[in-house]
Formats: sequence, structure tokens, C-alpha cells
Amino acid sequence: MLAALLGLVALLAAAAPFLGRWAGRPGGWPLAAGLLALALWVGLAPPALGTSWFLPWIPSLDVGIRLRFDGLSWVFLLLVLGVGAAVLAYSARYLKRGPHPGFYGLMTAFAAAMTGLVLADDVILLFVMWEFTTVCSFFLIARTSPQAQAPAVRTFLVTVGGGLCLLGAVIATSVRTGTTQLSAILEDPVWSQDPTFAAVIAVLVAVAAFTKSAQFPFHAWLPDAMVAPTPVSAYLHAAAMVKAGIYLLLRFSPAMSDVLTWNVLLITIGLVTTVMGAVFALQRNDLKELLAYSTVSQLGLIVATIGVGSSAAIAAATLHTMAHALFKSAAFMLVGVIDHQAGTRDIRTLAGVGRAMPWTAAMLALAAASMAGIPPLLGFVSKESILDAMWEGSGAGWLVAGIAALGAVFTFAYCARMVLRPLPGTRPASLSGMSEGGFWLVLPAAVPAVLGVLLGPAAWMLDGLTSAGATAAAGSEVHTHLTLWHGLTPALFLSLAVYTVGALVVWRAASVDRVLDRPLFPFTGVEAVAAWQRGTVAFGARVGDLTRSDAPARHLAVPIVTMGVLAAVGAVGVTGLGDLRDTSRPFDWVLLALVTTGTVAAVSLRSRIGALAVIGVTGFAVTLLFFTLGAADVALTQLLVEILTVVVAVLLLRRLPRRFRRIPRSRAAVTGVVAVIGGLAAAVATFALTGRRGLSPTGEHFLLNAPDDTGGSNVVNTILVDYRALDTLGELTVLGIAGVVIYVLLESARALPLTYRDPVPVLRVPATSPLVDAETNGVFNRTFAKLGIPLMLAFSVYLLLRGHQNPGGGFIGALVAASAFALAYLAASSDTQRRASYFRLIGAGILIATGTGLLGFLEGSFLKPLHVDIGTLHLTSAVLFDVGVYLAVIGVVVASLDLLGGWPAPKQPTGGTRTEAPDPPPDPTEPAPVPTREPVTTGAPTKEES
Amino acid sequence: MTLALIVGVLVAGGVYLVLQREMLRIVLGFILLSHAVNVLIFSAGGADRRDQPLGDSPDLATTADPLPQAFVLTAIVIALAITIYMLTLAVVGRKDDDTADRSDAARADHGASEDALDIAEVARAHGLTPEPTPRRED
Repeated sequence: MLAALLGLVALLAAAAPFLGRWAGRPGGWPLAAGLLALALWVGLAPPALGTSWFLPWIPSLDVGIRLRFDGLSWVFLLLVLGVGAAVLAYSARYLKRGPHPGFYGLMTAFAAAMTGLVLADDVILLFVMWEFTTVCSFFLIARTSPQAQAPAVRTFLVTVGGGLCLLGAVIATSVRTGTTQLSAILEDPVWSQDPTFAAVIAVLVAVAAFTKSAQFPFHAWLPDAMVAPTPVSAYLHAAAMVKAGIYLLLRFSPAMSDVLTWNVLLITIGLVTTVMGAVFALQRNDLKELLAYSTVSQLGLIVATIGVGSSAAIAAATLHTMAHALFKSAAFMLVGVIDHQAGTRDIRTLAGVGRAMPWTAAMLALAAASMAGIPPLLGFVSKESILDAMWEGSGAGWLVAGIAALGAVFTFAYCARMVLRPLPGTRPASLSGMSEGGFWLVLPAAVPAVLGVLLGPAAWMLDGLTSAGATAAAGSEVHTHLTLWHGLTPALFLSLAVYTVGALVVWRAASVDRVLDRPLFPFTGVEAVAAWQRGTVAFGARVGDLTRSDAPARHLAVPIVTMGVLAAVGAVGVTGLGDLRDTSRPFDWVLLALVTTGTVAAVSLRSRIGALAVIGVTGFAVTLLFFTLGAADVALTQLLVEILTVVVAVLLLRRLPRRFRRIPRSRAAVTGVVAVIGGLAAAVATFALTGRRGLSPTGEHFLLNAPDDTGGSNVVNTILVDYRALDTLGELTVLGIAGVVIYVLLESARALPLTYRDPVPVLRVPATSPLVDAETNGVFNRTFAKLGIPLMLAFSVYLLLRGHQNPGGGFIGALVAASAFALAYLAASSDTQRRASYFRLIGAGILIATGTGLLGFLEGSFLKPLHVDIGTLHLTSAVLFDVGVYLAVIGVVVASLDLLGGWPAPKQPTGGTRTEAPDPPPDPTEPAPVPTREPVTTGAPTKEES
Repeated sequence: MTLALIVGVLVAGGVYLVLQREMLRIVLGFILLSHAVNVLIFSAGGADRRDQPLGDSPDLATTADPLPQAFVLTAIVIALAITIYMLTLAVVGRKDDDTADRSDAARADHGASEDALDIAEVARAHGLTPEPTPRRED
């Protein structure tokens, strides 16, 4: 039944946008009828109290769609559905003609969210529904007009801030109590056993409710949100958004009513808000703004009453929530009618509304009278019970009741003001068109107003509902006996005092207006929220500025400096290092000198090609170092990589300036200091933390078992293709992706033009020199290539095959083969030749390696090598895997040679026609540039001659 | 000792270069830093045993640890791929391979409005200039 109820409201919400589009404005009627039917169902044939329903949602966290129906849910369901029906019916006449899918969709979704909120018996679900109402209200306000967006954002920020408090409370309580079931949490003994915890949760829940119910100091958003159309305001103020905060307070009241923090916080804030809101309301001339502050004030009164915590107070709060829903929804809709008909809602220009619109005026007067607490209306009954409960409350009850009565004085005054100013008198000429709104426009507004009248004398009819709600919210059985006449109670005398003083204020209205017609505070709440919002955004921008940069240096400096800090900490904190083994050999010092020379030269040279050349000195020195360290495979790899890096870099140098910029002294100083600190840290850490132990157990295992395990005696190669083949497969994939990325990068962002527009040095050679012409200049290379390339390719295959036993293997073989391709490329006299389709090479390599890995499943696992002995010949699938390595690495290097050497960036990976216009030919008046490999004359052969 | 010094020299040179503006210098710095890391990995394996890990019955007292060698071999080839990629980045800039920060200047040109959450401004920044929507109700 509960699921059916929630499902039906959700169904209405789903249908609403379509109704709003197809039926237009009258789409409100069926929606109102639907909500009204559900309200009647809940009102006349409610489910049994305590009915619950459960659907697992996140079973591992014990979170579920738990629904539970009790007295409190009953009261709020009636408000949500009943007021919702009235507001939607009103909208059907109030809105402009035309489609309103968004408005109807959001309003009904709002009703669905509130229904879910008041039925939720799971704190996670409660939080989700709570936030859902926030989102609905945001869109309802924001979609009104472009000017409404700032208020909508402010509303959203304030209420989401409260939502975060609720989330904190929800998580803390569910962790502490071990369940997310709301009813179980509220009955948990932790609330009485741990006062500190209870106080923290009390503050969190209270703040969440304060933001939602617009309590001081979060009250600013509610008047701010007045930019929304009247039906939205009516629903927000009477039953939906702000009542969610009241619901939350009442819901947590059983657990919290004995927590002193809760009582003090709610009573203080509530009383401050009720007086402040009433005074502000008295200041306003815009009827809608007046009503907005009146809501703030009335909710403050309810919050303070909940804070008192006694059964009588809870019952009074429940009753006043209902009374407020009736008179506030009526008042908003009626003000909307006046606005609709008269085109203004400023009480200084309105006059004679009573004559022009007698029905509307009468209803507005009834709603205002109920709000002012005048007998025999429902507002009187509820306000009497509030004052009574406050007076009887523990502590300084007379003081609490006295302050509440002070708020009531101002309430009386603004209610009189909103009736006595616009309604009497004769209609001025400026409002000549003003006449009664249509019957169907006034009816939805009149119903709650009339109910407020009828339910005053017949307050006993609300006994059942109020008792049920109060029983749920007080945590103990409550029976109310609502009646107009309670005898000569203190509350009655307080009410009489309120009427007397209130009448005095009304009588001296002109003087009061003069006193109040000025800002009471140096700044408004809206300004405060806006300033806070701007400050937050500005602060976020400052924080973001630290990393908002295109320059790599700024980002790279962070890990480097962090490394320095780590080294400093380590230098102080690390002790107990092992003994240093004698690791240095005399030749190492030579290598150190070479590395230092190359590095210093690379750092200080300003010629790009020079820097590239001297960095090779470092590379070759490191290569030698690897060789002396007993790593022939690594040394060979490093050697080949050095060569290929230089080849690729030289291809790109043509597109860049010839010289680096001069580094400014300040930058050189800063980066120099960072570099020296980094170098020192690295050196000290290497010295302290390495070279102090013997052979690693893993290394020992490989050394002892590799020949038997794999049939290979080159242990490094067996690690690559047998033991840790998965790593190697991953590496191949990375290489392949690098090739693809280079291609994509050059396709999406065109490379710089081939010849950088620098002053080009004149090559001082005789015109007959072979250096002038690329074709003749390449003779030596081409001749060597014819001989060398087949030899290199054959040697690369040999290296590949012998790798399992001797230095060599897929990587080294591939790099040799790639060098052969590089030679072919450099020797070619034209760029039009395209190499083998490198993407196929990459793909074939990865496929072969993966396929070999899949073969391993024959022996039980991915990449497990297979061994076959044919006579004395030992074959292993690891060699096949190495072939995959070989092909992929060749593919990547050839891809980069081809893509980066091309002119311009090729459009087709495998050659084909070029569609892009070439760069303009060199200006004949300029000095002849250094001949490049591009054909200078169109008649030059495009293929090397065979 | 020598390995530590080599690492130190390489790191100092590499750090200095990667903190400069030109992409090519950053690439050269990256090459130096990868050398440094490779030497460091070797040093972690121990530089006192320096025989090749080849053959069927190696002498554990003098043979080098093969594991760091395998790591470094892989690292060298990956570094080659990354180097080529970074070199490519050097030639797809606007004018040359200068990486100086342009975002500050770009922001200054943009002329941000006072309201940090000015939705119209956000829309302009994304190339969407919404038509002012008329009030739908009232």
C-alpha cells in the first residue's frame, strides 16, 4: 500500500510533463484530481499506523527502500497531497495559456519527493529525498527568468549546505548504531548513553532543518526565492520545501527532546527568527515579500515549540503546522489572484480591492485572521496551544511564551496591515481594470481559507490526526482535546495582551512605518550569502591558480621539490644502514667524468643540434657503464636507442629554431638551485640506500633455475620472455599505443613548417660542390645502404634468434632492424617513399605475442612457455613471443621515422596521395638554405635509382 | 660511490633542463633523468658483482643480478617511445617549442565579470550565447 501510494505519485510526476505539453495549462486539473484522490485516500482510509514496506537497495550496506507509515507521515502526507492538489488546480487557471511541461513536471516531482521523504524509514533514502526536494526547488525557481538564476543558486547553496549536515548526521548515526533504519536508530539507547554524540547529531540535524526551513541565520533564501511564480511559492511555503525542515525536527524529536543542546538551540533560534521575521514582514510593502517573511516568522514559532519538547508542545507544533499550511497556501494564492487581476501587489498602490474583488478580499481577510490568531479560527486554536505549551514548559517557560507573544504582536500588526491597507477604500483610476478573478481561479485558494474557519470551532475533528502525529513525534502516547475555549489560562491572557498591543501598533501605524522604514541591519542576508558565495569562488580560483598553468616546469617542480623534502627527512631519520660493499672500479671514474662532461655541455649549449650531440656523450658513457656492470643486453639496447633517438630528433630539428633562448639569470638561479638540491638528494639517497646487500633472493632464483626452467642461458632474456612475459606484453602494448598517439597527434595538430624561419647561415661552398645538391650529396649513404641494409636485417634476425642463449633477443634485434630502416630513410633522396605499413607491424607483433600467450593455456596458464625437443634441438614458444616483441618495436620506430620525417605531416599512414598544399618554396632572393632532402627542382628523381 | 655520483650528476642536469621553457630541453632533461633512474636500479641490484648473467652454472659470488637488468631493458625501450612522443609534442606548437604559460594572458583577455556565477558568462565561455528566455509564468 505504501509502495503503491509512492508509486502513484511518482507515476503522476512522470506523466505530468506530457500532460503539461499536450494539454497545456489545463493539464493541472487531472494532476490536481490525482493528488486530491490520493489525499482523500490517505485522509479517509489511511493504512494502519506502523505499516511498513521494504525493498533491498544496497544489501551489502543494509540500505533499503524502507517505507513506514505513522502519525507524523499521515499529517505531512495530507499537507503535501492536499495543498499540492489545491496549488495545481490553481495553476490551471493562473498560468499563461500554452504548454507548461517543465512547471507541471517539477511541481509533481516535488510532491513525489516530499511523499518519499515523509514515508522514508531509511536514513539514506531520507537524505536522497531531502536532496531531491532541494533540486526540485532549484529548478522551479531558476526556470522562471534569467534574473531568477542568482537567487536559485543562492537557495541551492544554502540548502545543500544544510543537506551536507544531514548527510553527516545520517552517516554518523548509521555507523554508530549499525543500521540505516530510521525507526530503529531513533529507538537506539545511544541517545541517552552518549550525551556528546547526541549533542553533535542534534546540532547537525538542527542546522539541516534550519537551512531548509529558513531559520536565522539561513533565512535569506526564502524571500530571495520570491522571484518564482506564485504557485511555486505557495507550495514551497505551505507544504513542501520549508515544511521538510519541520518534518525532520519532529521526526528526530523522540530521540532529541531530552538533549539540552537541542532544546536550547531550537528555542533560541526559533524565537529569534519568529520576532525578526515578523518585524521584517511589517516592513514590507510587497504582499508576496510580506508573506515570505511571515513564513520565516511562523516557522520560527514552530521550531521553538518543537524545542520545548513536551508532549503538549509537540502536539501544538503539529497542529500549527497544519494551520499554517492552510492559511499560508490560501494567502499566497489569493495574493497571486490580486497580482493577476490588478497587475501589482504593492500595498501602497493597491486600494479598493474589497469593492472590486469582494470574494478574494474576504478570503484573504479570513486567511490573515487565522494567521493573526483571532478566534474562532484554527490559527487561534493552534497559537493558544503553542503559548500554553511554552508557558507550561520547564525552565523559564514564561519568558519563552513572552517572547513568542512579542512575535505574535508583530504578526497581528502585519496581518492587519496586509488587510487594512489594500482592501478598503475606493479603487484608484490606475486600477480601473481590476475585477474579480474567475471562479476556478479563486476556488482552490478559497478552500484552505474556509477550512481554516470551519476547523476552528470544529477543532475536535483534528484530534485524531494531531494525536497520531504528536504520538509519533513525541515518542509516547498523546491525546489532544482541541477546543476553542480552554478556560482562563495564561495563554488566553497572553493572547488578549497580544491583541491589545497589536491593535495599538495598528492604530499608530503611521509612526510605526516611519520607525521601520529603514534598514535594520547594515547588510541584508542576501548580500551576506552573495558575498560568501563570491568569496568561496574567488578562493577556489586562487587555489586553482597554483596548478592552472600550461608550463610543464611549474608542474614538474612539485615532485622535484618534494623529493628534496623527502631526502631531508631521510637524512635526519634513517639510521641502521648496512655496510657499504666495495663497489667502485677505477674505470667508473672515467665514466663519471664522461657523464659529467656530456651533462654539463648539454645544459650549457645553446645550439640545439649541439645539445643533441653532446647528450649522446652521456648516453654512450651510460652504455659503457651498463657494459661494465655485466649487462651486455642492456648496454646493446641503450646503444641502439641512443642512435635512434638522435635520428628521430634530427628529423624534428628542422622545424625548430636553431638555438635555444638565453635562460634569464633569475630563472637560471632558481632552477639551478633546485637542480643542485635534487642532484644532491639523489646522490646521497643512492649512496645511502643501495649497494649495501648481496644478491637479491629473486635474482639468485633466476640465476640458478633459468637454464632448467626455460632452456635458455641468457637469464635476462628468459626473465623478459619466460618469467615476466606479461610485463613485456604490457610494454609492447604501450609501445604500440605510443605509435598510434604520435599519428593521431600529427593528424589533429599540424606540425610546424619544415624550415623554421630563422636567419639561415649561408653555406660557403663552391657551386660545384656535391654538398649543394641533395641528390649527389646522398650518394655515399645510398651506396652504403644498398650493402648495409640487407646485412643489418639479417644480423637483426640472427640476434633475435640467439637471444635466448646469448646477448640479443627481440628488443635488440628490432632496434638493429629499425636502424636499418632509419638508414634506408636517411639515404632516400625523396620523402615520397613510404615504408612498410607500420601499424600492421605493430598489430602483428602484439597479436603474435598475445597468441603465443594464449598457446600457454595448453599448459595451464596465459603466457606459459611451451617446450618441444626435436632430437637435440630445443624449441620454445618463448622465441615466438620474442618475434612479437621484434615486430612491434620495429613498427613503432618506423612509424615515428615516417610520421615525423614526412613533409608535411602525412595524411595517410601508408602513403598515398597528399592533399595538403606544400609550404611555399623558398624565396629566391634569400640566401640559399642548406640543402635539405626535399627535391629542390621538380625534375629531381623521386625514387632512388637502382 | 661512483654510481651515486653519476646518479647525482644526471639528476642535477636533468632537473635543470626539465625546468626550462623549450620542449626540446625538457626532452633532453627527460633523457638524462631516465639514465639516472636506470643507473639507480642497477645500483640497487648491487655493483660489486659484475659478471654477465649468462651460462648454465653462474658463480653467485661474482655474477650480476639479472632482475634489475631486465627492468632496465624494459625501461629503456619504454623511454624511447615516450621520448619520441615528447619530441612530437615539440613540433605541434604554435610557433616553436616554447612552453611558456599562456593561460594567464588568456584569462586576462577574457574579462571576467564581477559575479563569479554569472551563468551568461559561463555560457559565453563555452561558446553558447543563450537567448534571454521570456518569463514563463505571471
